[in-house]
Amino acid sequence: MGADKPAALVIGAGISGIQAALDIASAGYPVYLVERESSIGGHMAQLDKTFPTLDCASCILTPLTADVPRRPGVHLMTCTEVVSVEGEVGAFRVTLERQPRYIDVTKCTGCGDCAEVCPVEIPSVFNLGQDTHKAIYRRFPQAIPAAFVIEKHESPCKNACPAHIPIQGYIALIAEGKFDEALQRIRDAGVPFVGTLGRVCGHPCETICKRGERDEPVSVCALKRAAYDVAATEDEPQPAEVQYEERVAVVGSGPAGMTAAYELARRGYAVTVYEALPVAGGMLAVGIPPYRLPRDVLEHELSYICGLGVDLRLNSPVGRDGGPSLASLREEYGAVFVAVGAHGSRELGIPGEDLPGVLHAAPFLRQLGLGQEVEIGKRVAVIGGGDAAIDAARCAIRLGADTSLLYRRSRAEMPAIPEDVDATEHEGVHMEYLVAPVRVLDGDGRVAGIQCVRMELGEPDASGRRRPIPIEGSEFTLDVDTVIVAVGQKVECDGLEEVVAGRAGLLEADPLTLATCIDGVFAGGDAVTGPSTVVKAVGAGIEAAESIHRYLRGHDLRAGRQVSRTPPEEISVEPTGDVEPAARAQMPELDPAERTSGFDEVNLGLSKEQAIQEAQRCLSCAVCSECMQCVSACKSNAILHDERAERLTLDVGAVVVATGFELMDPRIKPEYGYGVYPNVMTGLEFERLSSASGPTAGEIILNGKKPEDVVFVQCVGSRDPHTGVPYCSRVCCMYTAKHAHLVRERLHDSRITVFYMDVRAFGKGYEEFYDRVKHERVLYRRGEPSEVHRRGDRLVVCAEDTVLRRPVEVEADLVVLATAVVPQPDAGQLASIIGLDRSEDGFFRGAHPKCRPVETGRAGVFLAGACEGPRDIPDAVAHAKAAAASALVALRGASRSGLS
Amino acid sequence: MQVDVRQLLDQLDLFGCIQCGKCTGGCPVSPTTALNVRFLIYETLVNALPDVGHMEELWDCTCCFTCVQRCPKDVRPAELIISLRSQLVESGKVPGPVGDALMGIFRQGNPLGFAREDRAAWAEGLGIKPSQEGCDFLLFTCCSSAYDVQAQPGTKALARALQAAGVDFGSLGTQETCCGNEVRRVGEAGLFEMLVEEGKPALENAGGQRIVTTSPHCFNTFKNEYNLKGVDVLHYTQLVAELIEEDRLQFSGQTEAVVTYHDPCFLGKQNQIFDEPRAILQAIPGVTLVEMDRNRERSLCCEGGGGRMWFEGTNTEQRLAFQRVHEAVETGANVLAVACPFCLAMLADAAKVQGLEDRLKVMDIMQLVDMAL
Repeated sequence: MGADKPAALVIGAGISGIQAALDIASAGYPVYLVERESSIGGHMAQLDKTFPTLDCASCILTPLTADVPRRPGVHLMTCTEVVSVEGEVGAFRVTLERQPRYIDVTKCTGCGDCAEVCPVEIPSVFNLGQDTHKAIYRRFPQAIPAAFVIEKHESPCKNACPAHIPIQGYIALIAEGKFDEALQRIRDAGVPFVGTLGRVCGHPCETICKRGERDEPVSVCALKRAAYDVAATEDEPQPAEVQYEERVAVVGSGPAGMTAAYELARRGYAVTVYEALPVAGGMLAVGIPPYRLPRDVLEHELSYICGLGVDLRLNSPVGRDGGPSLASLREEYGAVFVAVGAHGSRELGIPGEDLPGVLHAAPFLRQLGLGQEVEIGKRVAVIGGGDAAIDAARCAIRLGADTSLLYRRSRAEMPAIPEDVDATEHEGVHMEYLVAPVRVLDGDGRVAGIQCVRMELGEPDASGRRRPIPIEGSEFTLDVDTVIVAVGQKVECDGLEEVVAGRAGLLEADPLTLATCIDGVFAGGDAVTGPSTVVKAVGAGIEAAESIHRYLRGHDLRAGRQVSRTPPEEISVEPTGDVEPAARAQMPELDPAERTSGFDEVNLGLSKEQAIQEAQRCLSCAVCSECMQCVSACKSNAILHDERAERLTLDVGAVVVATGFELMDPRIKPEYGYGVYPNVMTGLEFERLSSASGPTAGEIILNGKKPEDVVFVQCVGSRDPHTGVPYCSRVCCMYTAKHAHLVRERLHDSRITVFYMDVRAFGKGYEEFYDRVKHERVLYRRGEPSEVHRRGDRLVVCAEDTVLRRPVEVEADLVVLATAVVPQPDAGQLASIIGLDRSEDGFFRGAHPKCRPVETGRAGVFLAGACEGPRDIPDAVAHAKAAAASALVALRGASRSGLS
Repeated sequence: MQVDVRQLLDQLDLFGCIQCGKCTGGCPVSPTTALNVRFLIYETLVNALPDVGHMEELWDCTCCFTCVQRCPKDVRPAELIISLRSQLVESGKVPGPVGDALMGIFRQGNPLGFAREDRAAWAEGLGIKPSQEGCDFLLFTCCSSAYDVQAQPGTKALARALQAAGVDFGSLGTQETCCGNEVRRVGEAGLFEMLVEEGKPALENAGGQRIVTTSPHCFNTFKNEYNLKGVDVLHYTQLVAELIEEDRLQFSGQTEAVVTYHDPCFLGKQNQIFDEPRAILQAIPGVTLVEMDRNRERSLCCEGGGGRMWFEGTNTEQRLAFQRVHEAVETGANVLAVACPFCLAMLADAAKVQGLEDRLKVMDIMQLVDMAL
């Protein structure tokens, strides 16, 4: 084949497209065969036998499909669609978009090891939902290409997670009882704090969880904890595969700093962490009390990080108290990540605030966290509504004080984690909502009470929450001796002035890369965002590590990072079918009476069994869970989870459109009960049921029983202007005759009824076939059924037998609907991309109905097969051969005129 | 008696019929009577002068319009029956009770023969204002809803619920007259025209921007046949579902019941209102909704439409309502909820005759709502 010859593009690789492509290639012209599915063969691959010869569809199709990858000059492109066709006959420029298959077709051997380990099961599209396969699958055993494919969508929970943790992945693993793998999956995503986040995360993932639209969201946070609790004892860090020379300094050992240290150490960098306090963990250690996060869990996770060789230096402030300056770190290390958190306290701004007995939450919790003595009185008022206020109140009550919590808005506006607010109420803290302090009362130079005013909610403010407004004359006094102020934290930025921005005393860093104004210095976590959640800090740590790695390797800091991630609330998921309602797992808790006597952990965690059950509530709405089991299982390294859609352009001389047809969804005719009764099915579903490669290996069996009475209904949706199908679908009379034959062949004693209006048996050998089938004890009754309903456990088909002239009811165990052949749902889109005309029926229109049946209005573009109108296989093949011949004429003309 | 129906062939486009039999195959009364509308069309086509004089089965049609819904070719089989009935009406060949009902409508504005001045008696003590004073909604009560003691509790319950939800509504009081939906369907085209002519200005100028009807029959004819200008027509289930959706109607009590719902043909099949009645039932605290096998588009007719409220039909042994109440009991429901006064009458009587009264209560949806307010 000459390389100078112009190529053809064939769109759609059903029987017509394959035939056209092979013919063009046989004539010596190269062909690009583009198919949007992951394998070729179209609807014909789904058929059992073909009429009127009763050839096995696979037996006559497979030689052609198998020829496609072998035939020189045919370039097959699956998972690919046409985006634009520019230019003119002889010189088209075509843009294609290839959707990710997530499998390297050249490497995949089709062994199926991946599917063995895949935890996610989905209804089979090829078998029309009659059985299931894994999220990594091959459409059918004889599929060409033989490579597998992964069905994957965006995951609402993962997109909602600030650290982008592959939530569906570890949940799918837990559902299979694979706790070790689940824990490792989270660690591999760059998250060292699994047991920690599993206890203290605010879990925005649960708010968005699609299961919540059915009954209750999956208990994601508790499952993360379960992965850690069950598997952490076996958990050893894997040393990095490469070691780089560059060293990195991290300032601050909180969740952001330690996550970055972990991720950089995993990537092969030597990391030194500078921590000002005598303990590591930042707010995890000195902000979150041990009844929420036991110290042994935190220490275990910190030591896990240090196990990778991270050098953690306690009592080592940077930029102050005699510690090294930021500038000196910058000189000593290849890069610096500043994540000092927000440990300072905001003031209330009311009189009496400086009195002894007024404490601030951050230092109060810090002193407790460091094991220091803290003196509080007998009656404590905590002011604020965030997590720190809640923690301060719960600590105060544990220290024996009668504790009240004052919050100026209502419970609904509280930023604290709702479950923790519940716990606070249960533990006996007096919750005073819609109350604000006015002044701290002075009694002998100490706190003697707090004067408050009641509030009401006005219009929403900039934060979207309703603004509290004081109610005049509602002042009252609370008799307290200690006030703990928890109205916000701020960054203590002594010594970091170089990277401090003006606004609100926060460090300034690029929101995407976390780079500061100093080259090689990055900053993230609370120090940049202001006080926020642990999971956001973890997310910042992961991003910082990525940036520092790129920085040190000389890569672009931004390239490919601004992935347009759909906001989780905008992700719409495929309907997941019937879901058995199941309440979410309830985590056992320490009895409230026991809790307040000490700092023991309150939430006791799910049992292994509870966790497995809870994980099984996940709807797998993103299908592939990215659990990465397939990656481990694949011996040929063929799996590409990060593959993205890509665009390519081709220069071709002619285009053959062979995009085929669809079948009408018979739910448009509700009278037949399709979708209500599982034993009412479409003709194509019957093909899969009766096919030897189908879900029952060719046995016609429903619910374990062989049907005794089978009723076929013709013209469902066809010849009916109401359904948009005023035309005859042309193939149904004959395939119904074939179906009746197949039933007789498999179910010798069954009663078979075909309801028909008139039988259209117009092709070669068709009338003879129809005659033959009737002789096989198939009863043809004239009349179009009007309704199907149930009587006992059988179906009743109601029709008028118009020969008998009276209404009849025929009982059935299986009803097969010959549904109309309709254009592809996106035929209009392709028509406008290519510039094709469509006839009123929605199919593409040829240039002339009689004399130019394959040409279109656009020179060089030809139609093949059922995209032009309903066609049986012989007609589709003939039409395709005509299209190939016409395309060859165009290609020949193009090569002569030198346009190629 | 032969009638000349040649003009009907074109008017009803009978030549488009492909004789597929979907009409007769889906007809609820064909299996038990001589009525075969597909064959009637064919007979009319080949012999434009059918002998309708002995076709008593013409009066069996309930005008459920299943045939019209199912026809793939837009032939409206039931309209042929109505046209043939017209021929009978014109020549005075009308079954006695149908004639009485028509006379009642002509004289007293209702087919039941009650006095016009008693039409608003059901509303006594409810404080419903005359719509002419101005209101958002005109509440239009069906003759059955107003006069039939079996239907009145549902009518009152509706009024109370509208009041509880703070809906501004009024009524035409004694000036309310039969909508004529069945009048047209029994073939009395002249009387129907008169009712429309007189009723239209009253409805358009009643003071409400929206008309809410108790019966799907009034709803159907107002919406599809009156050609009203400037007013929307709603069935009460649409309005009440909206009030619940908007939290304007709130429940403080419970109605403990397992309920199945019977779709009225004039609401469901003919006007595609399937979801609202179910939404109301599902919103009632304590109600568990279960479905009969034949529901929505496949619902079974109660046999009360198209004049059959007044005429027994040719097969008094096998009634669809008998079958229907058994289907309801099979679901395990103890309440069969309806949204139509005709369905209420037919099904409540059937439950009685079939000895199911202890096991199955037939109630208007609004009675269930009322119990939970």
